[in-house]
Amino acid sequence: MIGKSPAWIPYFTWLLAIIWVVPLVGILVTSIRPESDTLLGWWNLDHIELTLRAWVEVWGKYKLAEGFWVTLELAGIATIGTMILTPAAAYAFQFLRFPFRRTLLVIIINAFVLPAQVVVIPLFTLWRQMGLIDNILAVLIPYVGLSFAWSIYLVKNFLEDFPRELVEASRIDGCGAIRSFVYVVLPNSLSPIFAVGILQFLFCWNSLLIPLLFMRTQLPLPVVFAQISGMYDANWDLRAVAAIVTTSVPLLVFLIFQRQFAGGSIGTSGSKE
Amino acid sequence: MSEVALPLRGSDGSNSRVQGGGRQRTSLRRWIADAPAAYLLLLPVLVLFGFAVVYPLVQTIVLSLWDIKGLGKPRFIGAGNFLALVQDANFRQAATTTLLWTVFTTAISVGAGWGIALLCAIAPKQTLIPRVIIFAAFGVSEAVIGYVWLQVYRGDTAGLLNAILAGIGLGNLAHAWLGDAKTAIWCLIIAYSWAQTGLPLLVIFAATQQISRNVLEAAYVDGATPMGIMRHIIAPLSMPGVRVALFINLLGSLRAFDTIYVLTGGGPVRSTETIGYFMFRESFTQFKLGYGAAATLILLAAVLLVSIPAIVQRTKSTT
Repeated sequence: MIGKSPAWIPYFTWLLAIIWVVPLVGILVTSIRPESDTLLGWWNLDHIELTLRAWVEVWGKYKLAEGFWVTLELAGIATIGTMILTPAAAYAFQFLRFPFRRTLLVIIINAFVLPAQVVVIPLFTLWRQMGLIDNILAVLIPYVGLSFAWSIYLVKNFLEDFPRELVEASRIDGCGAIRSFVYVVLPNSLSPIFAVGILQFLFCWNSLLIPLLFMRTQLPLPVVFAQISGMYDANWDLRAVAAIVTTSVPLLVFLIFQRQFAGGSIGTSGSKE
Repeated sequence: MSEVALPLRGSDGSNSRVQGGGRQRTSLRRWIADAPAAYLLLLPVLVLFGFAVVYPLVQTIVLSLWDIKGLGKPRFIGAGNFLALVQDANFRQAATTTLLWTVFTTAISVGAGWGIALLCAIAPKQTLIPRVIIFAAFGVSEAVIGYVWLQVYRGDTAGLLNAILAGIGLGNLAHAWLGDAKTAIWCLIIAYSWAQTGLPLLVIFAATQQISRNVLEAAYVDGATPMGIMRHIIAPLSMPGVRVALFINLLGSLRAFDTIYVLTGGGPVRSTETIGYFMFRESFTQFKLGYGAAATLILLAAVLLVSIPAIVQRTKSTT
């Protein structure tokens, strides 16, 4: 199309990719070699022995299995919550007219710039007063509440191209505002709703600061992992396994749905291409 | 009534003269009739948003005016926290670190992502796998990124960086990279930029794929070389993607917490604390909640400053 591109480009990008792949391979290799063999570096080939010892022992040593289920529970509920509540709000903002519509919308969609750090101090005191520390609600409420800023924007953007005539026809035929949402708009906007779900799942799975502050016993994987990955702990092999377990699910979801992720990230931050 | 309404209704044509009044009444009725349904649909969103965003935001401002230490009795001190912050050497260092951190992580990650995206744009097929690899690093949990780089920066013989230096004859430079206040912040910047390069790469590469084929073919027919096309056509036309990527990564860097927490915990001697980390330390390890809240507001001011264009654009495009 634009002629033959220089032959060095693929080689050069492969060379660059090595910078990204080597540190990750290091974790994988460390996890399947005896720790004594990697004291001179995981790349050291003086003595080659592969072992799954770390993969077996890690479950007894750290609370990974429990953390996995906690993470799945928290990210799962928060994802479903966002997926259910977002389309209803986006529909109302796009197709219904009511007082303060634009004001509310502008406030909600601009909240995407807020760092989590801004909300955690007051939430901490509030949850303490309400006795919600270590209750899953303490993390679910901010997970879902903070997601609306980008999720409603994303779904409403999609609805802007939704044929208005369909909605109006259903209204004229006697559907109320809510029935027209449930029967006309909702079934036809599943793709942005799933894109929102994927993003929300990844964000919640990887979240560290909020559960670190609000949970005490039911700790999700990033918190469990952060606690064991301090500089002065040994057990490099066990911690490598823990790292892989922590990131396996989001990495997999991420790679499978990378297209939606890229589109979503652009959507969450403001530009429509 | 329609006589008054007509000029306001604009370019609706002559039909509106006949129907104008009636339509307006319908829409007014709709406006009121829709309200209960709309608020019913919005209710859970407004409640959760109120809990997670509005209340904390207002309360952060309130807390920042109080002196709160642990479980002691709060004392109103007005701007006292902010005055104390300005005089606090630790906060001044955190502010400097934040500036250094934000500028360099954004510049490196977007710069690298942009460069690679441009190379990939003129050879999209042959560069698919390297692209996915670099992008994959962005999908790794931030806490795990910290650990991945802990292995690179280890001070002992198993550290990759030390081994590479020894390999190229610079073994005398080897040391505990994260234990040295002079090098730790740069180690963090490299690690974080490495993880964040994937997004600009993907966003900018996607922008280059939107460029019209006709433009590229016209340039080719006129005798431009692939490298020339890249420099003079693809690079300028990728700017919208670059702007989006710059903003996303800028915002991400300002709020970064996870990688710092895992890799250095803000140390050594608080040399790697950004404001986003400083507030955590002051509020949740020293329990100075009001002081931390004041620091957070300064972070928020920085965030709002860089977000002005995006906020204006979002607000304008909202109908």
